[in-house]
Amino acid sequence: MPRHIKIGLIVFGIGGAIAMGFFVDIVGRVRSMVNERETEENPFKPPAQPLYSPTDPPMAVKVFFPAESGDSLLVAEDQTIFQSAEIANRARQILQKIQEGPKLDTMLAPLPKDAKVQDLFISEQGTAFIDFSDAMATAHPGGVLNELTTIYSIVDSLTYNLPEIKQVKILIGGVEKETLAGHCLLLLPLEMDLSITNVMPRDEKIAQLPRSASAVARSIN
Amino acid sequence: MKLIRIAISLAALGAALFFFGGLIRAADTNIPIYFPNSKLVVKAEVLNRVTYLPIKQVIEFMGIPYTDALALETLTIRSGNSRLLMTKNSALVSYNDQILLLPSPILREDGRWLAPIEFLTIGLTRLTGTEFRYRAGAPRIYAENVDAPELEMNAQTLGPITRLTLRCSVPLNVELKRDDQRAILAIDRSVDPFRERLDHRDRMVRSVVFDDSDGNAKIVVDTTRDVTDMRLTAADNNRVYFLDLFTKREPVTEAVPPPALPAAPAARPDVIPAERKVRVVVIDPGHGGMDTGAKSAAIAEKDFTLALARKLRSALQTRLGTTVLLTRDSDVALDNEARSAVANNNQANLFISVHAGYSTNKTDAGSSVFVMKENFGEGFTTASATGRDQLFLPWYLGYRIHQQASVSAANFLQEALSKAIPGSKFAVRTAPLAVLSSATMPSLLLEMGNLNNPMNAQTLTDASFQSRLAATIADAVQRFSESPQAAAN
Ligand SMILES: [Zn+2]
Repeated sequence: MPRHIKIGLIVFGIGGAIAMGFFVDIVGRVRSMVNERETEENPFKPPAQPLYSPTDPPMAVKVFFPAESGDSLLVAEDQTIFQSAEIANRARQILQKIQEGPKLDTMLAPLPKDAKVQDLFISEQGTAFIDFSDAMATAHPGGVLNELTTIYSIVDSLTYNLPEIKQVKILIGGVEKETLAGHCLLLLPLEMDLSITNVMPRDEKIAQLPRSASAVARSIN
Repeated sequence: MKLIRIAISLAALGAALFFFGGLIRAADTNIPIYFPNSKLVVKAEVLNRVTYLPIKQVIEFMGIPYTDALALETLTIRSGNSRLLMTKNSALVSYNDQILLLPSPILREDGRWLAPIEFLTIGLTRLTGTEFRYRAGAPRIYAENVDAPELEMNAQTLGPITRLTLRCSVPLNVELKRDDQRAILAIDRSVDPFRERLDHRDRMVRSVVFDDSDGNAKIVVDTTRDVTDMRLTAADNNRVYFLDLFTKREPVTEAVPPPALPAAPAARPDVIPAERKVRVVVIDPGHGGMDTGAKSAAIAEKDFTLALARKLRSALQTRLGTTVLLTRDSDVALDNEARSAVANNNQANLFISVHAGYSTNKTDAGSSVFVMKENFGEGFTTASATGRDQLFLPWYLGYRIHQQASVSAANFLQEALSKAIPGSKFAVRTAPLAVLSSATMPSLLLEMGNLNNPMNAQTLTDASFQSRLAATIADAVQRFSESPQAAAN
């Protein structure tokens, strides 16, 4: 092969390699831009982690839903979740059940349809902080009783089934709100109140637990 | 060529001097300097945003010897073996054999030595050991260990009244002095206001300004002609003061019908039976403005509550001769704290919040009388109250004082409603209600019906039903008023 062709081939080869390098680089850049855009759209979306593993044993829970009518404001429905290692994941499963609504039609859906749990965190003192999306407040139809049952279906379902959770603090849209729909205070964490449910406290041996308001009323009259 | 350059530079310099010279404009302010057992008020000058103090006046007051050398244009201050030497128009101060740099030069005008306020801490503290404290922009200085507790001011429009709240971490003596269009709150000690003035104006208040330019702390409230009365009350062992401004000029109100039967003695306020304990009732029509509350095709909750509240006001005034105030008498939004504050500030004997209900079950038609959830918030008092928070009773525990009377009033209401509106269920319930939590009198919330039930919504819209409802509530208030439970307040 003549020398000038050899040199030409070498130069061509080097040029090709450089061009190839540029091309790979450009493709890489374009790809990473596309990826970046994807992540930009959902910057806070946590990686989808399963709330339980297939080996977790089942766990029976009582999920409290607003009663359609009757004496109790909230009625418990027996449901099953998985006993995930993390308490927060059990809480998330219970909240999922609340969001899905009751199976029986003698109870009502406690949350507005579009309300989503955005975040959940359990503090060392046993306070579950739950951050709901704005729809929790904006799509709530209102009413004191209606607001009360929305809030206590969450508070009672979590505290009754997960003794590690002592109280529940509801946040909306990432911030503290005075009330959900103008009535019930959300500024302080809320504790379990079974007096408005058809369920007895777990460890109480008392045969009959009087309803709170009427109990006070009786003691006065 | 060189000459032209010099000429241009000089012209530029001249222009700059002319320009900046325009900015240097003196403004006088009186600044008190608080010493442990005395105080000095100096006339400070603010030049180009730098606060200048007449330094000779300060050192004379402190009893520090000095030499004012007119010919040398220097001022020398001595303390023990140390000395500070300052020169006119120089930001450099010599301290023994050190050089200290001030942020702005020392000035000498009409025989007065003016030093930037920083001279106190940079120069004088070093020389004398006396510490000075001041907040940037605040027209007062504290020397040595003068104790100046922080004073918080706050103003709120609460329906018919305007309330100014003062809070301090130590007890204060506050005296109210009135002159024509002003209320002056004189405070008996030096305090450190959080803010110099409040950004609050309403129909009774033009401005609220903290003023200690004469060395005496006071708050000057500039009021309008609408103010007919004012009252100062102390709370929390004189750590909290409320100045309430009242007006006789009622906001737009529905005409109150005169007592139906002038002959009936019970209808006249001046002949209220001695045993009647409910003299002031505050009615709170739920929601308002942007906050419509629950909605139905027939009516929005906010409109129902206002209509019912107005009818209830008439019923209570004519029947019981009570003073009745509404938290809102128009379509305005109001937060829950302001609602209960109207009741608290007017020493109401009963607070009734009215609402309409909503259930996703269209056939539901129940109503409820709510009282505050018992023991609500008690678990948080000791745990979360620390430091200065402990000085105040947590707002969310206000309801506790009259919890039993509240339940009793709720029972009277439930009984009256169940009788008057047969076929409807009325239950007494408890809930952690924001509007009731800080009300310091018997208080309850009535939630009527279900706006999602078309029949129910129609009934609630009906004016004659509303009148019947108002009359029934007034009955219950009368029964409560005559009961021993009402005596608690
Ligand atoms: Zn309401």
